[in-house]
Amino acid sequence: MNPDFPILTLLLFLPLVGGLSVALLWRNPATARFFALLVGLAELALGAWLGSSAPAAGPTGYFLYQDLPWIERFGIRYTLGMDGISLVLVLLTAFITVIAMLLFWQEVKERVALYFALLLATETGILGVFLSLDLFLFYLFWEAMLIPMFFLIGIWGNGRKLYSAVKFFLYTFIGSLLMLVAIIVLYLMHGAQTGSYSFALAELVHTQVPYTTGLWLFAAFLLALGVKFPLVPLHGWLPDAYCDSPSAGTVVLAGILAKTAAYALIRFAYPLLPEAAHAFTPVIYVCAVIGIVYGAWVAFAQTDMKRLVAYSSVSHMGFIALGIAAWSPVALSGAVLQMVNHGITTGALFVMVGMLAERTEDRESLHYGGLWGKVPVLAFFFLFFNMASAGLPGLNNFVGEFLVLVGTFRVAPGAALGAFLGIVLTLVYTVRLVQDILFGTPSQPVSLSDLSLRESATLASLAVIGVYLGVHPAPVLDLIKVPIALLTKA
Amino acid sequence: MTYSDAISLLPLIIVGVASLLVLLAGPFCHVRVVTVIGAAAALAAGFCAAAVSPVNSAGLPGLAFTPLARYLIPVFCVAAALSLLLSHGYNLRHEIRGEEYPATVIFCLFALCVLPCATNMLTLFLALEAVAFSFYVLVAMDLGRAESAEAGLKYLLVGAVAAAVTAFGLALIYAGTGTLALGALTAPAGFHSILAAGWGFVIIGIAFKLSLVPAHLWTPDVYQGAPAPVAGLLSTTSKFAGAAFLLMLLAFAPPRAELHLPLYVLSLLSMGLGNLAALRQTNLKRMLAYSSIAHMGYLTLALLTGTRDGYSAVLLYGAIYTVMNLAAFGAISSLSANGERSSIADFAGLGFSAPLRGGVLAVAMLSLAGIPPTAGFIGKFFVFYSAIRGGEIVLAVIGILFAAISAYFYLRVVVQLYMRPVGAHLPKPCSRAESFALICSSLAIVVIGIFPTPLLRLVESALSHS
Repeated sequence: MNPDFPILTLLLFLPLVGGLSVALLWRNPATARFFALLVGLAELALGAWLGSSAPAAGPTGYFLYQDLPWIERFGIRYTLGMDGISLVLVLLTAFITVIAMLLFWQEVKERVALYFALLLATETGILGVFLSLDLFLFYLFWEAMLIPMFFLIGIWGNGRKLYSAVKFFLYTFIGSLLMLVAIIVLYLMHGAQTGSYSFALAELVHTQVPYTTGLWLFAAFLLALGVKFPLVPLHGWLPDAYCDSPSAGTVVLAGILAKTAAYALIRFAYPLLPEAAHAFTPVIYVCAVIGIVYGAWVAFAQTDMKRLVAYSSVSHMGFIALGIAAWSPVALSGAVLQMVNHGITTGALFVMVGMLAERTEDRESLHYGGLWGKVPVLAFFFLFFNMASAGLPGLNNFVGEFLVLVGTFRVAPGAALGAFLGIVLTLVYTVRLVQDILFGTPSQPVSLSDLSLRESATLASLAVIGVYLGVHPAPVLDLIKVPIALLTKA
Repeated sequence: MTYSDAISLLPLIIVGVASLLVLLAGPFCHVRVVTVIGAAAALAAGFCAAAVSPVNSAGLPGLAFTPLARYLIPVFCVAAALSLLLSHGYNLRHEIRGEEYPATVIFCLFALCVLPCATNMLTLFLALEAVAFSFYVLVAMDLGRAESAEAGLKYLLVGAVAAAVTAFGLALIYAGTGTLALGALTAPAGFHSILAAGWGFVIIGIAFKLSLVPAHLWTPDVYQGAPAPVAGLLSTTSKFAGAAFLLMLLAFAPPRAELHLPLYVLSLLSMGLGNLAALRQTNLKRMLAYSSIAHMGYLTLALLTGTRDGYSAVLLYGAIYTVMNLAAFGAISSLSANGERSSIADFAGLGFSAPLRGGVLAVAMLSLAGIPPTAGFIGKFFVFYSAIRGGEIVLAVIGILFAAISAYFYLRVVVQLYMRPVGAHLPKPCSRAESFALICSSLAIVVIGIFPTPLLRLVESALSHS
């Protein structure tokens, strides 16, 4: 490969450009759908190829890098870079997007081309966050991804879709603006100290930040990232947005969009403001543990399946926050691994719930029952992913949560214990959900068809990855080892 | 007047000749021809201004082709040309006939072009008032609607007071400094209080022009009553001209210390009240009026820092705001049939039933809300950046929080456009001139949002020699 070829730019903008072309096919929904899938698959193939042909990481951990001047007036550069963590998340993003398109192939009947175009545009927004190494560029993607998501929820959602779409947008937008102030302040401080004004992450990490200022800046970052994460007091938008979004949108929201916040915390907030981050660690511990326990607790009380999975997602995200807060190599590896696992498992759970709702137009778990005998394939996958979510050993979530707990226990035993309680609660609501849906007797007769070949094959691919990561997580851990060592060294 | 003077003032000559030509040709030609002449002349003048290199000529009393003029004249010319293209169809539908409409727009453009060329207070004031005078006529142009006349009268009354106050302020400054020249307004010792009073009156007058709170009361009524294309032109060029007036009067030096507090309060109140009041509007034009109050608050925030960055931000934001608002009002005027389409609920479903115009309106709304990757984001970024750098971090944070709130009312329009079922009144098809103008303005929004470097360079060169 020619080293000058802007492969990262191609990777980043392929979905957007593909999406725009899909939108042009609006007269012909079937073609648009097919073309969109093709774009998604091409993106996944490109990511996989980059991953497999990745040269050994340099001393900075980045094996692909691109840097061009962009807005010289402010020293803003178009800097993209890919290290192990980015690669893992890029692959996850490309994979989940394809899954979401495949499984909800027919979900949307109106304005199909626009729907798929917006899904692809969201993908570019999310990839942009994972690849940017310039804080301005990062912020641009961070905000820009809201626009297609907003339209996805607002146009094709169900229930109180307008309310949820606007709420989702405003929560994240308002949270983010103070982060913009923090970024500008960091930029000015760095410029005043060194004379070179730049938004590049590599330069800004050397900024000497006074302790109190650092606290304010980190608080602004935490607010912005905490909303999208979501950390518990900031999660108000989540159940509404997850529930009222179309199924594919929910899968994208929960599977990958939430990871941008965890990633930004690891990539930007902690390295930029290490002292303040250290000071805020107890706060993050508390938020994480409360999130784990509270999410599981509230999930237990839900009878709307989508809402249940939404709260379980909050609970699982707590583990990621916990791992980041512990900031040791083990815990952080666990957190990154858990980001992938959460994408796979929670994504799959939303897929299952979406499939049930697609078939019966009913999300009340109490209305179901006895599916085990009626639709065996669907029931099998339902059980499988619920067990994965509950942390059954041998499946993916177990490894990630285990690593996080081990890493955390060394530095904060109390937090680890609290999180452990959360695991027990997870088991409670998961078993209850499985009991309600698969076994027992239905309160009203339910009739639904089993999975089609397309659906089975797609779910099987998710399940295979779940098992693979559960028994052999080493490839992912190897990929993220160098960047995590670099991050935790300082 | 030498040959080189004539060359450097060619934009003014073109516009001036064109305005007379439009009036003379009006009775004999179709209004469409006249409009095209006007738009072409505006574009030619803008092109000329961009091509000619600025000279600090002393050959003419009161006029020179300054670097600032080189930046502002093309902006004003493009705005006037776009609004002529947009208003043609609107005027046909509303039976606003005759050549006096394009002629007045070009007269207005002439005054706008003179303004940045002024080298003394007298020319500057005359240009500003000539702009206002043209708008008194344009706002009341729609004789078929009583609201239009009412808006015209309101604007005239308020504008007359503002003009008197500004003139008095300028007179006091003259008394304090003893000169009318713009470059030499530095205060000699001894006349301190007279100068301060003069500046105070000028600020009050400009607050009316920029509709800064508490001098904003005329704005919603005038925007609502004025024909939509006129409201678009009024909300952009006259505001930008007001800001430029202040910049030139300050001669690009930081404002006097006494001015800091009044500007601070004006900015704070405008950002606050503008955004909060806009939340409650159900009429899109009134909403845009309050939004424009808020945006002038952001502009004042950049201005009051008194730094070069701040002034660059004012110039950049003015141009970006011009594009955004022209796109918004252009879409409104094109979507209006015989009556005005102004209630926000009337725009339901138009994103799909009128894709171009709905799309342009949505892009304009997202840009006004400052969401990347639109020009509005770059503008807001520069304004808040310059404010933080200029030490106004508290006001900047307050402004950002208000900007965050503002996303709500802009999004409401987008929600109507795309997420509600189509209403009963479908718009008439879009004319070619309208589509052209709308596509140009929305493209500009996106292109500036993604690649602002050329515009930033122009802004830098506008401030280079001052």
